[in-house]
Amino acid sequence: MCASVKYNIRGPALIPRMKTKHRFYYVTLFSIVLLGLIATGVFQFWPHSIESSGDGGVEKRSIKEVPVVRLPAASPIPERGDLSCRMHTCFDVYRCGFNPKNKIKVYIYPLKKYVDDAGVPVSSTISREYNELLAAISDSDYYTDDISRACLFVPSIDVLNQSPLRIKETAQALAQLSRWDRGTNHLLFNMLPGGPPDYNTALDVPRDRALLAGGGFSTWTYRQGYDVSIPVFSPLSTEVALPEKAPGPRRYFLLSSQMAIHPEYREDLEALQAKHRESVLVLDKCTNLSEGVLSVRKRCHQHQVFDYPQVLQEATFCVVLRGARLGQAVLSDVLQAGCVPVVIADSYILPFSEVLDWKRASVVVPEEKMSDMYSILQNIPQRQIEEMQRQLSLSETLLFPQICFSSNLQEKRTFDVATGIIFGIARWFWEAYFQSIKAIALATLQIINDRIYPYAAISYEEWNDPPTVKWTSVSNPLFLPLIPPQSQGFTAIVLTYDRVESLFRVITEVSKVPSLSKLLVVWNNQNKNPPEESLWPKIRVPLKVVRTAENKLSNRFFPYDEIETEAVLAIDDDIIMLTSDELQFGYEVWREFPDRLVGYPGRLHLWDHEMNKWKYESEWTNEVSMVLTGAAFYHKYFNYLYTYKMPGDIKNWVDAHMNCEDIAMNFLVANVTGKAVIKVTPRKKFKCPECTAIDGLSLDQTHMVERSECINKFASVFGTMPLKVVEHRADPVLYKDDFPEKLKSFPNIGSL
Amino acid sequence: MPLWRRKSFWLALSVSWLLLILLGVFPLRLAVPPGPLPGCSQGWPRWLDAAFLQSFSQSETLPKDAPQLSQAPRGSSCTWGACFDTSKCKGNALKIFAHSPAGTTTEAHRRILDSLEGSRYYALSPTEACLHLFLPSQDHTCGPLPPYWNGGRNHLVLSLYPAPCTRLGQAMVAEASPSLDIFRPGFDVALPYLPEAHPLQGGAPGQLQQHSPQPGATLLAVAEEKGRWRITDTHASTCPWGKHCEQDPGLHQTHPGETLPNATFCLIPGHRSAASSLLQALQVLTALRDMLPSKILSLRQQTQFLWTAYFSSVEKVIHTTLEIIQDRIWGTSAHPSLMWNSPPGALLALPTFSTSLKDFPFYHLQQGSSPESSFSALIWVGVSSEPLLKLIQVVAGSRYCAQILILWSSEKPPPDRWPETTVPLTVIEGRRKASDRFFPYGDISTNVILSLDAHSTLSTSEVDFAFVVWQSFPERMVGFLTQNHFWDEARGAWGYSTEMANEFSMVLTTAVFYHRYYHTLFTHSLPKALRTMADDTPTCVDILMNFLVATVTKLPPIKVPYGRQHQEAVPLAAEGPGPVPEPQPLAQDCFSRVAAGFGHMPLVSSRVRLEPVLFKDPVSVQRKKYRSLEKP
Repeated sequence: MCASVKYNIRGPALIPRMKTKHRFYYVTLFSIVLLGLIATGVFQFWPHSIESSGDGGVEKRSIKEVPVVRLPAASPIPERGDLSCRMHTCFDVYRCGFNPKNKIKVYIYPLKKYVDDAGVPVSSTISREYNELLAAISDSDYYTDDISRACLFVPSIDVLNQSPLRIKETAQALAQLSRWDRGTNHLLFNMLPGGPPDYNTALDVPRDRALLAGGGFSTWTYRQGYDVSIPVFSPLSTEVALPEKAPGPRRYFLLSSQMAIHPEYREDLEALQAKHRESVLVLDKCTNLSEGVLSVRKRCHQHQVFDYPQVLQEATFCVVLRGARLGQAVLSDVLQAGCVPVVIADSYILPFSEVLDWKRASVVVPEEKMSDMYSILQNIPQRQIEEMQRQLSLSETLLFPQICFSSNLQEKRTFDVATGIIFGIARWFWEAYFQSIKAIALATLQIINDRIYPYAAISYEEWNDPPTVKWTSVSNPLFLPLIPPQSQGFTAIVLTYDRVESLFRVITEVSKVPSLSKLLVVWNNQNKNPPEESLWPKIRVPLKVVRTAENKLSNRFFPYDEIETEAVLAIDDDIIMLTSDELQFGYEVWREFPDRLVGYPGRLHLWDHEMNKWKYESEWTNEVSMVLTGAAFYHKYFNYLYTYKMPGDIKNWVDAHMNCEDIAMNFLVANVTGKAVIKVTPRKKFKCPECTAIDGLSLDQTHMVERSECINKFASVFGTMPLKVVEHRADPVLYKDDFPEKLKSFPNIGSL
Repeated sequence: MPLWRRKSFWLALSVSWLLLILLGVFPLRLAVPPGPLPGCSQGWPRWLDAAFLQSFSQSETLPKDAPQLSQAPRGSSCTWGACFDTSKCKGNALKIFAHSPAGTTTEAHRRILDSLEGSRYYALSPTEACLHLFLPSQDHTCGPLPPYWNGGRNHLVLSLYPAPCTRLGQAMVAEASPSLDIFRPGFDVALPYLPEAHPLQGGAPGQLQQHSPQPGATLLAVAEEKGRWRITDTHASTCPWGKHCEQDPGLHQTHPGETLPNATFCLIPGHRSAASSLLQALQVLTALRDMLPSKILSLRQQTQFLWTAYFSSVEKVIHTTLEIIQDRIWGTSAHPSLMWNSPPGALLALPTFSTSLKDFPFYHLQQGSSPESSFSALIWVGVSSEPLLKLIQVVAGSRYCAQILILWSSEKPPPDRWPETTVPLTVIEGRRKASDRFFPYGDISTNVILSLDAHSTLSTSEVDFAFVVWQSFPERMVGFLTQNHFWDEARGAWGYSTEMANEFSMVLTTAVFYHRYYHTLFTHSLPKALRTMADDTPTCVDILMNFLVATVTKLPPIKVPYGRQHQEAVPLAAEGPGPVPEPQPLAQDCFSRVAAGFGHMPLVSSRVRLEPVLFKDPVSVQRKKYRSLEKP
């Protein structure tokens, strides 16, 4: 203790005691050693932990280190591509097998450097884009590193651009891949095919049966349903961000921005410009740019300099003309700018045309019609101009402003709504399928995947509809106009707990309805057994009792196997006031409106302006937006939807609160069909007039508050208010008409 | 103690050195296991020098050489742009002329020609046509080529069976089951292989009676020879697709002679013997069993829609072929894809009306749009009379009325002065033809039309309520007075009745709401013969319009209540007061002729009337919005 104190006190004296030159030497040496130690420690531990968490174990290597493969001059060359190849002839689907996820497995060969006998490289190892493409596949759900499980193989030999390739040697490199097998199930990506002078429209590298994802196919080289037509990636997409521009008036009607255009075509374009002056702009490369300005980012018209691709946003239509090759990167730029491409390239297979509906996003003009292009474009919307002008007054104007004032003519030019949609779709195509190498790679794999698992394929709407359309549109699951035959009848489902007497009365009453074909009792009481079989009322149709595992309200909407008819009548075990005519008529109405909820008492939702929220209304109003499911007909498919497809936590919420299952059903059906309910007959309530509830008023009020809460809860889960308000109800044709009662089909239709 | 201090200092120094050397020589690998974990996906490497990679197009200099001009089509292949001259189609309208068939006229030829005559694309002379139909004879020569053959340019070779001759230059080929290696996508047209007894016109609608498959229905039926079917076990799940199933392909029970089994899916294999192994290998059953109910539901309905819209008769197949060709001529203003693929189908949705789906009555749901909120009243005036002025006031009184159009079809000149109304009133001079009523006048400025007869008596309340109902059913007709059709056993023909009944299938067009699109459809899609008949027999117009709308919707019209005082209102062109007369023999005749013209009975009956929610309820009148509807 004492020593240490002394030591501490003397400590500072240590260094001065040494000789000055030694002192300096020791301090330096010690700090170097210490620094070295720390640095080593850091390198040893730290970097590994970062790498493993950040890159998921991906190794970091240099491209220069990839193994070298020597190709003997005599190594085999694949046969040229087989033009008759189709999926069922050249592709081995058995390799893909049945896959519960319906996703193909894609293997990527490891990167190698190929050299010929003399040691001269066959090509530069890999381009930035192909590296990105392989990385995108590797990151996707399609990827597998197990070659034996793969159904599609992607070589790491970069053939995106044919020009720098040594054709024969590249082909030899392909042929020596471990699973090549004549190229079966191999996928090659190529964006710039052919070479001078005649520029073939497909990759010239012999590739036997391999699939080709190519940019710039023509009808002569494209193997429909086998090859995939892909865009030519525009590197500008990553360099320049063009903000989305609202569709509507743009400065130029037609613009051409390409630099390499056949002189004859340029003459045609310039003639158009001369004729239509300021509404047409034909740009060319700039000849007098100062040093340091990127020539690819500038375009000129005479001495006027324009920024590219920004200038594309100033035009309604942009020309995409064939160059030496059919596929042009400018198509991507044009779509990004939301300019409608006017594709002038005969026989060109547009990118992803197998799934994309280019009619909705482009105008295709035959090359020989080029000089008529202007009038063709002007004619697009001008069918029945007066009609169009009239449409301008409609609400759609808000979505797509349709009047365009062209600066030169000073005349009003009308735009069809369709043109407005084309603007939107062009941009959407770019965002979804053009904007990055990853988007292109994944769309290509999805197309191949759709062919192999056609029953799980993505639908036309999913490929083509922009998200805004997907949100607002409704696709009714029962879209076919069809009135089911009366002979089918309906299944009545009675949910009951323990009111046996009332239940039996309901069974007896419902069994009198002519079209009843089966009765299903859902016994929701786990503590008590249903009455013995002999005690049940004897009725003319089969009666089945289903016991449930838990007392839940959602049991009433379960898609029981016992339901054989399409029509379901949900009915509470205390609904005894409905007449046989009333029920039969309800079924007839359901037949005419099988995609709707058909019920008796109607209810309404209202917006409470004071509270700023939805309110449940059971007053006898002139409008309805819901029907009670205490007695309602509906299609049994909605049972499936209620049980398995109810959004959010609504189903559990309803079971927990033991309330509002009917409102939830109303929301579900209205949301999926976009249609209103049908209220039948004058019936306003289920309670019989004589049975007044104890302390009815306060009970009613809490009930109303709870029901309003349900509406607000469901509206927030659905993210919208799907319920539709209508002012009509359905009655028999001769209801209360001056006509002999005995001749009416449904004379006893019941009361309020 | 300097020595001790110096010693410890040196010790620390040497230990540090030792550690440094050790760490350098044997890298510490305690933190991570050596190499990637087994089983962990390695993925495509992230190159350290990825940033230095060149762009694929970098080496690409802009091609200096002149890009080539379009090549002439190589003989073997044709594209639409290269082999069809659209400039021959005036106003982009397809007109087809049928040259007399090569060789003898067969039954198949006759059916094609009959179908063609009913088409709106039929041309009477070769000079007005831009497409020439060539019906090849059934031998390998195809028979002599017609005059003006011109290498087949702008010619259509049509055969309901696989064409006997494969290539005919630049002519389009529309044949049944074309083989893949000669089919030119986007140019040729593939037709379905129809049975010989396929109906010429109309045709039975699809047999689907329920949207969803019946529980317990067979999952899959496989076609065998001689019209027999093998069906899968309904409880196919008992046999997992393991090895022990190889003996049992999961199929059993043959039903000889049965036309079509009650199955959810049908498999018609190209090579029948291979069916079982195919099922096994592709595990078709597993895939089918795993299919979501929602997917099956939509597939079932789509098959029915496609069948009814394009396949059910020879006429439909031919008209669909022409519609496809017309779409190619139209280019950008062709049918949007949705029109082809959702009811009522491309033959009944004319893009000449509009290319915007929102303008049609059928696509509001898919488009997320809603029908318009105002209507145009179109009042047909045959004989000027007092009620007309009252009717104008009643209609103008509706808050949904946007304009009133008077279709003046009387011999007398229209009056110079019209009552003052809050909405614009336009007088159109009719051509005094009954079909005038349904002409798509450019003056009609809304998508909804209230079609009225000058004799009609209505109240503003009735107009308002009917319009609000129409907004819920924009594709249907919403009317007040109705008629019913029935099969008349005695006459062996369809008949109809105007008597009050529990059912109805037609509404009188003397007072009816419907979408403006039906005017276009009536004028441009109905066969000329039917429209001429309507002009000759005015009551026919009514029937014709009801048939047309029912063909499109496959649903009955909507009936709304009509005040009792108007019970005496009369159907179109009937005269004088009194009870509604039974249809005249002439009208009954017209009804059966229209039914024959359509080739089938499209009318559908309804037993429902839509009424205000509180209609005739014993509640306070003050609560009711449409109280005048109930006045006795």
